[in-house]
Amino acid sequence: MSDRPPDQPAAPADPADGLAAVAALRRLADQIEDAAVEQAMRAGWSWPQVAEALGVTRQAVHKKHAQRLIAAGVKLRRR
Amino acid sequence: MTTFDRYLHTIIDQAADEARKEGSTTVEAHHLLVAIATEAEPTTAGPLSEAGLGRREIRDALEREFEHSLAAVGVVPAHFGLPPATCAPERPSTMGASAKLALERGLASAARKKDLRPAHLLLGILRAEVGTVPRALALAGIDRAALAERVRQSAEQETRA
Repeated sequence: MSDRPPDQPAAPADPADGLAAVAALRRLADQIEDAAVEQAMRAGWSWPQVAEALGVTRQAVHKKHAQRLIAAGVKLRRR
Repeated sequence: MTTFDRYLHTIIDQAADEARKEGSTTVEAHHLLVAIATEAEPTTAGPLSEAGLGRREIRDALEREFEHSLAAVGVVPAHFGLPPATCAPERPSTMGASAKLALERGLASAARKKDLRPAHLLLGILRAEVGTVPRALALAGIDRAALAERVRQSAEQETRA
């Protein structure tokens, strides 16, 4: 008998479904990252705080999001 | 610059804008498909509309594929209540793997470069056997092989004209 809760889907039987789920999860993760970083910076978080929370370097998070947030009019903290 | 080169540039520009609006850092095959459906070009618009595929239908099919793929692992995007992120101001300039393959297949589907027509680009996208586009079309009940054949005929007729 499986330990899987009744409301949890079974692992995809078709490899195509599993691979498509990976591609879709990456896309969703990117969308959530964009939204969450913007929310944090609007709330006054600093780049080092956001970077540490995401587990990436400050340079990486700055490079990925700074231009978009500046264009969106978000007031960015330098430190 | 040939007519096809101009068409290709237009489609890549529009696809990059689709990618930007989606928050994607690369242009993928499904962005090219939406761009082709947006651009009213007879050799591609004919077969697509015969199959019931306009810009909106393709976008809906892609959204269904996204939700369906996530549902396979128990994820529902609507459960994440974050406000949508602001779009990047610049269009991405990098072609993703699926777009590169679609372009390669499309360009290879004409015997000579001077025979290339807009329909060849669509054919390159439709010839992918796996990935987002074939899954989205299958979920929308589209016979992808039949559509690809119709597009191939359209390209051939246009090349002869």
